[in-house]
Amino acid sequence: MSIEKRMLVRELKLIAARPGDIFKPMWFTLLVISMVPLALAPDSQLLAEIGSAMIWVATLLALLLNTEHLFQSDFSDGVLEQWLFLDRPLAWLVGVKLIAHWLFNVLPLILITPVAGLMLSVSTEVLLALFITLLVATPALTCFSGLGAALTLGSSRSGILGVLVMMPLFVPVVILAAGVLIRATDGSDTLPLLALLGAFSVIAATLVPVAVSAAIRLNIGGSN
Amino acid sequence: MIFAPVKIEISALSCERDDRLLFNNLSVALESGQILRVAGPNGAGKTTLLRTVAGLFGIQDGVIQVNQLPLQECLDQIIYIGHKPQVTKDLTVLDNLKFLTDADEACLQKALDNVGLKGYHDSLVKELSQGQGRRCALARLWCVEAPIWILDEPYTALDVGMAKTLDARINEHVAVGGICLFTTHQPPQQLDYQILELGDVD
Amino acid sequence: MGWRWFHQWGSPRWFYERARRWQLVCGWLALILLTLGSLWGLGFAPVDYQQGNSYRIIYLHVPVAFLAQALYAAMAVCAIVLFVWKMKLADVAMQSIAVAGFAFTALSLISGAVWGKPTWGTYWVWDARLTSMLILAFLYLGAIGLRAAFQDPDQAGKACGILILVGVVNLPIIKYSVEWWNTLHQPASLKLTEKPTMPASMWIPLLINILGYYIAAAYLVLGSMRATVLERERRAIWVRELVNGA
Repeated sequence: MSIEKRMLVRELKLIAARPGDIFKPMWFTLLVISMVPLALAPDSQLLAEIGSAMIWVATLLALLLNTEHLFQSDFSDGVLEQWLFLDRPLAWLVGVKLIAHWLFNVLPLILITPVAGLMLSVSTEVLLALFITLLVATPALTCFSGLGAALTLGSSRSGILGVLVMMPLFVPVVILAAGVLIRATDGSDTLPLLALLGAFSVIAATLVPVAVSAAIRLNIGGSN
Repeated sequence: MIFAPVKIEISALSCERDDRLLFNNLSVALESGQILRVAGPNGAGKTTLLRTVAGLFGIQDGVIQVNQLPLQECLDQIIYIGHKPQVTKDLTVLDNLKFLTDADEACLQKALDNVGLKGYHDSLVKELSQGQGRRCALARLWCVEAPIWILDEPYTALDVGMAKTLDARINEHVAVGGICLFTTHQPPQQLDYQILELGDVD
Repeated sequence: MGWRWFHQWGSPRWFYERARRWQLVCGWLALILLTLGSLWGLGFAPVDYQQGNSYRIIYLHVPVAFLAQALYAAMAVCAIVLFVWKMKLADVAMQSIAVAGFAFTALSLISGAVWGKPTWGTYWVWDARLTSMLILAFLYLGAIGLRAAFQDPDQAGKACGILILVGVVNLPIIKYSVEWWNTLHQPASLKLTEKPTMPASMWIPLLINILGYYIAAAYLVLGSMRATVLERERRAIWVRELVNGA
């Protein structure tokens, strides 16, 4: 079996061993969504207006939550340093890991957005746009938060530093996504913006793994 | 199987960590068939030296070459076993081994039998004792083919029987042209090794 | 000559001693320029026909806003130098510039808010420039916070370098996206005033002040770098001699 395949298989087996890792962020999203009408008002028109943006933010936070420790356990177990001895460039392996993470941990978060949409009375057209936007935008977000996780691997007192450091870089993605949702609401063409978002994701997915691998290397270099 | 001749040359290696000079101008050459034990008191830089030779710790000053090539190009010829567990607790013994090697299943089974984990293939590592977890990490020495072994405290948590098995495996490895670098605080009886003493820099 | 010159930059001691002189020059130059520019701008430049005297904050706000952005670029250049030539001084510069950059960004946000109150009637609006400035402040904070999380300065430097390089690639994208976002949500009702032309008696003192603030920033960064060099080289003999007053 090639290392890429082994990595995917391992990721699946780990999820089977700790299913909570998938469910907790989904649970978190739904909880945050439930707080919105409680904090605002159970007015369905009002909720529908801000609903899609709320779902976007909740999903973003959940994604941050489950990517924050992406490399942590492998790093402290000393498994991550073994990646350096595999006959593939580290950046490539990081890319495979990020893809696996997106498939198995981020995708489920997107799959529950219809439920969250129903809870906030979001219309079907907007919900569809929201769903597609998340599909197109989350690869970039996963890459950036993976970088945050990698940068802070070696420091024991980092806390949520990885998240804090990476969040400003989410700005373009959030703005473009908001643009898609606004256009979907007033029924105009969303395709150009989705294409831009997609391009951003593709570029992030090609370049960020290189930065992640450099971050991993420097943290491995500092630990015993 | 016999390895092609290998040579590691460490020249004028220096390393400073946390404002302390661990080793200065260190030069060692190792060839096929040699075993080197890096000795010295705690904090002398044994682990740092091993991690530097394994390419995990950046070289600050000096050169390390494997067969005249820069170290970073030869990492696939190295097996490094550090003192972290090097296994994932939530995976089974066999799955742990499978991730790091593409050897076939029969070979992996045999490796696990050799380290005394027969009957534990499908146990999760977290269900094992510390010594058994260590054996799982060491099982790679039986199923991955790489001429350079770098073992940091491999005897920790092993019982006498397993320590002897490991000695025998190291002897077997150098007999077919391998190299072994290791550290330990319990000098093994059955190995014929050279000693590199660290810790007298200042 | 070229190589020797380049190598000297690798020597902390050489830098420490030289920088003292540069700092002195920068300090006096900045003082003169800022006194001249500020007195002229605040006291003698004509009153703006629309905003009255409140426009005079540009003599502070515009230079610090320029610096806030320029310093991030300077930090990115240092990161490149650190990775390409492994020059430790570049890391020291990165550390000092991050703090100075955050200070100037905060100053530009605060001066903007102070100006916003009489002009817009509110301290804060989600204007494109203000928003990008705010995000820039978060990026600076990230570089400072990441460094603080590491014990080993070399590791901290490399981690910050990666973060800053990724940040500088994103910065233009952030800037343009924020501008676009602004047109998307707000019909251009509130806009920073765009003057058709400024009389020379207004822009000459501004130019002097911009130059003055740049040199003042150099003064601050050099001072902070010298202190950092001393701290990092505290084990070196020359630092011990210096501290013991030998």
